[in-house]
Amino acid sequence: MSHDDRTHILGSALNVSRRGFIQGAAATGAATGLFRSVAPQEAKAFAYAPYPTDDELVTVPTSCAHNCGSRHMLVAHKKGDVIVRLSTDDGRYQGPEGGYGYDTEEVPQLRACLRGRSYRARLYSAERLLYPMVRVGARGEGKFKRASWDAALDYVAERMVHIKNEYGPQALLDQSYAGASYGVLHKSDQIEGLLGRFLGMFGCRTSSWSVPSYQATTFSSRMTFGTIEDGNEDDAFAHSKLIIMWGWNPAYTFHGGNTFYYMRLARQRGCRFVLIDPQYTDAASSYDAWWIPIRPATDAAMMAGMAYYIFTQNLQDQDFINRFTQGMDPGTMPDWARGQESFRDYILGTSDGTPKTPEWAAAICGVPATDIIKLADLYARTKPAALKASWAPGRNSNGEQYNRMAAALQAMTGNIGKLGGCAEGVGKGWHAEAVAYPYDEFANVWYASIKSDRWAHLVLNYPNLKREEIGLWPRGDHLDGVIPDIRGIFWQGSNWFNQLPHINKQIDAIKKLDLVVCNDSTITPSGLYADVLFPVATHFERHDVALPWYKGHYYIHRPKVIQPLGESKTDFQIYTELAWRLGFGDRYNPRATREYFHHDDAVDEAYLSAWWERVQHHQGVDISWDEFKTRGTYKFRLPRPHVAFRDQIEKGIPFQTPSGKIEILSTTLAQTTDFTRTAWGYPIPAIPKWVEPFESLNHTDKTAEHPFHMVTPHPRWRTHSIFHNIPWLRETYDQEVTINAADAAALGIATGDTVEVWNERGRIVLPAYVTERVMPGVCVVHEGPWLDLDADGVDRSGNPDFLTLDEPSPAGGFAYNTILVNMRKTDLNHRPGWDRIATSRSHVFRRGV
Amino acid sequence: MADNTDKTRIQVAIKERKRVGYTPVVPDTQLGFVHNNVDCIGCRACEIACKDKNGLPPGPRFRRVMYVEGGRFPDVFAYKVNMSCNHCAEPACLPTCPTGAIFKRQKDGIVDIDSTLCIGCRRCEAACPFGAPQFDPTTNTVSKCNMCVDEIDAGRKPYCVMGCMMRVLDIGPIDKIRDGTHPTKAIGPGDHTVRQVRNMANPDLTNPSIAFVPHPKGRVEG
Repeated sequence: MSHDDRTHILGSALNVSRRGFIQGAAATGAATGLFRSVAPQEAKAFAYAPYPTDDELVTVPTSCAHNCGSRHMLVAHKKGDVIVRLSTDDGRYQGPEGGYGYDTEEVPQLRACLRGRSYRARLYSAERLLYPMVRVGARGEGKFKRASWDAALDYVAERMVHIKNEYGPQALLDQSYAGASYGVLHKSDQIEGLLGRFLGMFGCRTSSWSVPSYQATTFSSRMTFGTIEDGNEDDAFAHSKLIIMWGWNPAYTFHGGNTFYYMRLARQRGCRFVLIDPQYTDAASSYDAWWIPIRPATDAAMMAGMAYYIFTQNLQDQDFINRFTQGMDPGTMPDWARGQESFRDYILGTSDGTPKTPEWAAAICGVPATDIIKLADLYARTKPAALKASWAPGRNSNGEQYNRMAAALQAMTGNIGKLGGCAEGVGKGWHAEAVAYPYDEFANVWYASIKSDRWAHLVLNYPNLKREEIGLWPRGDHLDGVIPDIRGIFWQGSNWFNQLPHINKQIDAIKKLDLVVCNDSTITPSGLYADVLFPVATHFERHDVALPWYKGHYYIHRPKVIQPLGESKTDFQIYTELAWRLGFGDRYNPRATREYFHHDDAVDEAYLSAWWERVQHHQGVDISWDEFKTRGTYKFRLPRPHVAFRDQIEKGIPFQTPSGKIEILSTTLAQTTDFTRTAWGYPIPAIPKWVEPFESLNHTDKTAEHPFHMVTPHPRWRTHSIFHNIPWLRETYDQEVTINAADAAALGIATGDTVEVWNERGRIVLPAYVTERVMPGVCVVHEGPWLDLDADGVDRSGNPDFLTLDEPSPAGGFAYNTILVNMRKTDLNHRPGWDRIATSRSHVFRRGV
Repeated sequence: MADNTDKTRIQVAIKERKRVGYTPVVPDTQLGFVHNNVDCIGCRACEIACKDKNGLPPGPRFRRVMYVEGGRFPDVFAYKVNMSCNHCAEPACLPTCPTGAIFKRQKDGIVDIDSTLCIGCRRCEAACPFGAPQFDPTTNTVSKCNMCVDEIDAGRKPYCVMGCMMRVLDIGPIDKIRDGTHPTKAIGPGDHTVRQVRNMANPDLTNPSIAFVPHPKGRVEG
């Protein structure tokens, strides 16, 4: 419909005299329906007809698949081979005890979020990739032509062999990630994924070891507890008396299927909530939290101030410290470190002469000392209390110190291993039986492994750099310390080109490569920079089982709901067929013949049913594979809420650390003499310490030019970059820069104004959202919009990773939240999406009071 | 485009409509919504569930989660008001419809639009104090929440309610919701519902079938 048509229709509607019409209707009010001569028909109630009701449709339980912090159930309602709508768990899919509406605290429904509910729009999106494509323009220009599978596969196989022969076993960079995520069979992942096994078996692979979301947190949990399984199950939150959400917004990032709901139950039972965050989040308002705004990247300092108060007021759980910790205070130092600095020494300043008082902390973090004291007192006296140290503050320069410091607070208050307490951290609450495809000595074989955000630095500076600059993982053979000469990149379930820091540097680097291969169901910004696009079947089009993500104890069956669209194939099919062409197809996929590329059902079924047998044996599941498939889901009933480290505390089982204790003093770090030989590359203190980030609002030399600290949290309406192309989601939220009202007034910016945000690395354009809900000096830009460059290299989508720095913290944590920027009102263009008609209307539904 | 090929039938309907007055239907049971403004995390899963269920293009939004915020840094507050069609006891949209496409069901008071009779004049859109009728530019018709009548008739609840991750949105007989006798997770222990919250049109206009657990800052006097 043209614009003129629409104006005309609108005009005629407006010309009707509403008042007169209502009077007319009232005047004839005495008449009755007897005179109606319209033949009675059944009212067509729906916006489009014919509307298929459920008795005309086949309903198939399945799940979401993307890499968020959760995993929920979806139910596909399909007509023929087309999904016409999705619903979610309604209680009917959990065996004999279930039924419509069944939803208890022990066995809650797994209700999908807005992203999951929009999957149909993604499945049938205009950006859906249906055929193999090969690049015909310059790299990044976005010009492709359709190719046959044969031609595309042959091309890739030939280039792979050439690159391996020419440049050695490190020349291909594996950048698979969890975008297509957690299926037990069709898995994309840095370590357990299908691509890693494929490239490793081929004998040419450089791996990317640091995890963008939470590497600092992973490091902290490993050093402190010896494991990343430091998480409680989500229902444990319902038992806390105090929940401190440190940089955590469970209204946006769902850690666990029902965490947010259990927190609601906690609030109903009298739990108090605190939020430490530069933003007053929706979680804060829902749980009526006490909001403590904090300068980004200064969290460890505030925690040190809390520890000072707790020690000096003698509020610590000394019995817990004595029994379970190493290095918390002089009394818990191991013999080999006797006399060295303990955490208490550091906090009280006995070792460095600087007591980490609340006043000292206040000057750094911007939180008044009185609030630091009040929170420390509240946390130390409330039992049980959950300090949930989330990942975002760890995504900073030296972010691992924040997570290590949080673990020290959790330990000194004795809140570890107890129901209602919390040791998170990473938050992995349950160890699923995770892998159905062959996972053997060929899995995760690599010849070099680097910090993930350093690849562009490596490619641009090769060979003139040191191993510590790229976080080269040590090896025990002749390849140790060999700087890889990267000539190609493979992406599986990954849009990393759009998501890693400092995109402009990546744009320079990718031009130097010889081969870029992208497996995806959707054309993404990364795909635009690829040489070959392999179309991948979505999780609706392949057979799999879904795992909960870190929290939640259940499996969800994911049948092949519909046939793959276009010529798309599963990743497993593509790598199997490539392996056949490279001579190791039978080893890569031992249950399959070469026929697998065309018919995968029987082989996938065989892998999955064999996997289910392992589930039955290892996890005591009593229903058969067929019964599981019929039900659609299996929810474990735990005898009591799972709490991490309960056995260590109640039964005295050692922690998985070298000392068997909670290592506030890390044995590994304390005994490392040459950090350049480690994957970290640079020194990391053995006890948690406040370490100055490379920039923050306290760096007055830098804030003169770039006065705002930008943080880049996960959005609610995307999973990283996934779903950016969904109009339903884009009309509910803007990609915008959130700024404080006082800052905005000074800059003459109002909500809805288009703003450019820049620093020395790049420039982005996006609308402003002006609010009192963010602290002055801080701005918020959610990560993940699809990059969209104008002729001058300005990003019109508002992707904050044009401004982030590819300078990881020593432990590998990405510094996504350590960015100083400037901003101003602009005439440059913002484009909310690649499509021309995209509009966002969220500001229409926002009202100030 | 809705299947409006039977132009004659529409003409007849318009003619007849002028003689047929509006006697408000008094339903056997009036169903209505209840929403907890405080506990809602504003995730909009209900909105997207609704868009998907009703196959809506970008533009029309049957259900709208409105974000309300205020205060001055750092003493701020925020809450959500979630509304679709309120299936009013005296719907303002109904008498404005020139074709009689809008009707109210006798058994449960659901207000709905017969999509085959809608001519897209948008009078109902202008009449509704709550913004419920939504114009769909792809069909040139107006449509709105019908409380998922197919689900209701099958003994289930609408998609928005069944999609609510926080269990803060529910339906039930509105009088029972109001007097607190309808069992629902939307209303927590100690919570009480109100007919109106701040920024919402006067409920006396149409007597909407909706109740809210209000945020303290969202309370209106009286």
